[in-house]
Amino acid sequence: MKNSILILAASLLALSSCTKKESSSNLNNSEYKIGISQEFENLNPLVMQMVATTYLYSISGRRLVNMDENSKWVPQVVTEIPTLENKKAKIITVGGKKKVVAEWEILSNANWGDGKPVICEDFALAREIAMNPNVSVGDKESYAQIEKIDIDPKNPKKCTFTYGRARFDYYMLGTYMPLPSHLEGEVYKKHKDEREGYEKNSLYSKEPTNPGLYNGPYLISEIKLGDHVSFTPNPHFYGEKPKIQKVIVKLIPNTGTLEANLQSGTIDAIGVVGLDFDQATGFDKKVKAEKLPYSVNFVPGLTYEHIDMNMSHPILKDLNVRKALIQGLDRQTLIKSLFDGKQQIAIHSVSPKDPWYSETDAIKKESQYSKANAEKLLDAAGWKKGADGIRLKDGKKLSLEFSSTAGNKTRELVQVYLQDQWKQIGVEVTIKNYPARVFFGEITKKRKFDLALYAWTSSPESVPRSTFHSSSIPTEKNGWSGQNQPGWNNQTVDKLIEDLEVEFDPAKRLTIATKITEEYVKDAPVIPLYYRSEISVTPSKLKNFVMTGHQFYETNAIEKWTLE
Amino acid sequence: MTTFILRRLIQTLVVIALLSYVCFYLMTLMPGDPVELMIQSNPKITSEDIVRLKQLYGLDQPAYKRYATWVSTIAQGDLGYSRTYRVPVGELMGPRLYNTFILSMLSLLISLAIALPMGIYSALNPGGKFDSFVNLFSFAGISIPSFWLALMLIIIFSVNLGWLPAGGTETVGMSDADYFTMIKDRGVYLILPILSLSIQQIGGFVRYARSAMLEAMRNDYIRTAKAKGLARNVIIWRHGFRNALIPLITIIALSFSTLFSGALLTETVFAYQGVGKLVYDSIIGNDYNVAMISFIISVSMVLLMNLVADILYGFADPRITFN
Repeated sequence: MKNSILILAASLLALSSCTKKESSSNLNNSEYKIGISQEFENLNPLVMQMVATTYLYSISGRRLVNMDENSKWVPQVVTEIPTLENKKAKIITVGGKKKVVAEWEILSNANWGDGKPVICEDFALAREIAMNPNVSVGDKESYAQIEKIDIDPKNPKKCTFTYGRARFDYYMLGTYMPLPSHLEGEVYKKHKDEREGYEKNSLYSKEPTNPGLYNGPYLISEIKLGDHVSFTPNPHFYGEKPKIQKVIVKLIPNTGTLEANLQSGTIDAIGVVGLDFDQATGFDKKVKAEKLPYSVNFVPGLTYEHIDMNMSHPILKDLNVRKALIQGLDRQTLIKSLFDGKQQIAIHSVSPKDPWYSETDAIKKESQYSKANAEKLLDAAGWKKGADGIRLKDGKKLSLEFSSTAGNKTRELVQVYLQDQWKQIGVEVTIKNYPARVFFGEITKKRKFDLALYAWTSSPESVPRSTFHSSSIPTEKNGWSGQNQPGWNNQTVDKLIEDLEVEFDPAKRLTIATKITEEYVKDAPVIPLYYRSEISVTPSKLKNFVMTGHQFYETNAIEKWTLE
Repeated sequence: MTTFILRRLIQTLVVIALLSYVCFYLMTLMPGDPVELMIQSNPKITSEDIVRLKQLYGLDQPAYKRYATWVSTIAQGDLGYSRTYRVPVGELMGPRLYNTFILSMLSLLISLAIALPMGIYSALNPGGKFDSFVNLFSFAGISIPSFWLALMLIIIFSVNLGWLPAGGTETVGMSDADYFTMIKDRGVYLILPILSLSIQQIGGFVRYARSAMLEAMRNDYIRTAKAKGLARNVIIWRHGFRNALIPLITIIALSFSTLFSGALLTETVFAYQGVGKLVYDSIIGNDYNVAMISFIISVSMVLLMNLVADILYGFADPRITFN
């Protein structure tokens, strides 16, 4: 009996110690397989909601404009971005209301995968479909801001957009997706009056490998929801010819097996919607120690991890308490000890990647770690230390409930770290986590928290109306809509947000944005923690791969990638 | 027997109808809906967008109205539309149910083919070397966490030896290949998930088979049969095994009822395109149509296999009648 067990154990050990030749050494431009861990839906650009779908869509679809890795807006299927400076855009006044008129011209060689030209009608159709109440488009703002599209009767590639309001961000149409009017026009006409009729019958759902649906560097040759998508070069692509002849994006839902899949050669790389942070740091160490032919890439992103403080809570109403919680927190050590220094410290809601980022003396002063200062603030607020080290006021303990999404290992570690830091200044914190759907669907939505740890994903130069404006505070009266969950009500900020939206001078916009940031830091409705890094793993052989760190993924430049 | 089967089928339909409403209602009680989950990935969604989307999805209606709409859609032969994947439910679930069926059926058959003889032989020779080995193996099979076992199999057979793919359902592009090449290719992808599932199932089945057989072989009628001088094979199979079948039928029938439910952990770890993770995600993401169809399939299978078990009891033990 013992012998059998020993033989079995020895065989297993022998099997596990056999090493296979590293798979990435055979990589070339004939095929490149990327592993992702997040689910994707069908690739209809108008109705897609999932992050992974956006990642995939950028391989096969191009839009009017895109944001590059330096957070700068650049044209994609158009000749140039219409601005006031190049006279392609102008502000007009109609009936006392200021509007913007912008001339867009589509590249003469921009075509769909079936060779049909990309024309203004493709954008007009997308707008019409998006505005139809029977179609489930999530965020309509990109389409709704355009009042009308006038197509040049002599040139279908030239059109004029009239915007309902004169907003500075009229050209930031990164989420305005074109639809091939020669294919989707008929489908829409037939099903426009049925509830969700268009999306159910769209060719993106019924015939997703139709080349005419895509205008990017690659076409979809095979798609299996929940498994993989295969891409082959688009012979009609207007830009640089793609170097890699076949790209496969494979879904591996368990992040724990992504690394094993990479090393076994099932995949050649891991995309940004793949590894967890701790797995990536572990693999990075392994790559360096064993000199594996991979690069683990960490790029500061725009996902803002923060703690909302409920400003309606009797304890947190007090500015001194809120400031003490911020200043009693050593973020530097948090980032070093928990994240190997690979996350970027946040001092407010605007990322250093954003042109609106500011770090004035006032901001720096308010965000600095000082345990002594935090204690002073709590003393000033009337909270005196009790025998057990926890502060008391009128016989009540300075005790707060700290919530987040249950099962998120990183957040749970952060919570324990913060709990200890705040205990040192006399604040008792009890951790109470909830499943994500309860946390977001009930706790944060209905503001039933004291402290809530979660993240927002933003984009550069994004006006914070939905998160900062007082009209966005969720209440029973407004059906718990709006994302100003701390309940921050600052009339100056409301006015600044309104001014910011209509300011066309970038320098003046920066001044207004800085003022908003200063108010944010001064009022302290939120405890900023860090900006989550975007992570990917690529084979060392891959060239011209540049991560962006924002939602306009690196796949927007996939045609440049090469494995030679 | 026909009356019995008909009566049970009618009862089954009533239970399905009642449970489907309870399940639908319970899902509506859970906090969060598809629109709220949408907001989390896009803070730019406005209050107007929320109202519009809730109206479009019918989420502003009371649960009974939504249930009635769902039932009438199903009655028209339309399984609905997945709001998560944005494709019809039939198109989404069909191939996955098939994949799950193949995986579950093969692993179940392999497990039974190995476990039943092992358990019976072990029961006939209690305390022997083989019995000790079987006990050790079955306890190990039951105790090893499935995700750990799956990871170990991947590390050994995919990463270190490179013999088998680490995950997936088939090689990309294989859908265009000829039938036999496709079968061969899918077989390669099935080896590790089947191995992982079977090791655990064998452990459980061996324990049931061994204890049922051990119990049957202790009965007085076995002693009488032996005293009558009946052949060993006749005693084991006609008197022992037939009586051990009753508990085994229950366990095996229940195992068959999970054929379409999917093995969430195994499918997820091996990136196998089955129905397990789809169902889990649909419940978490409030994708009602997908969740409800999978619920109906699960309930129907449990009720149907219980009916099959009840019928088989009658064949195994003539003392059981259908009256």
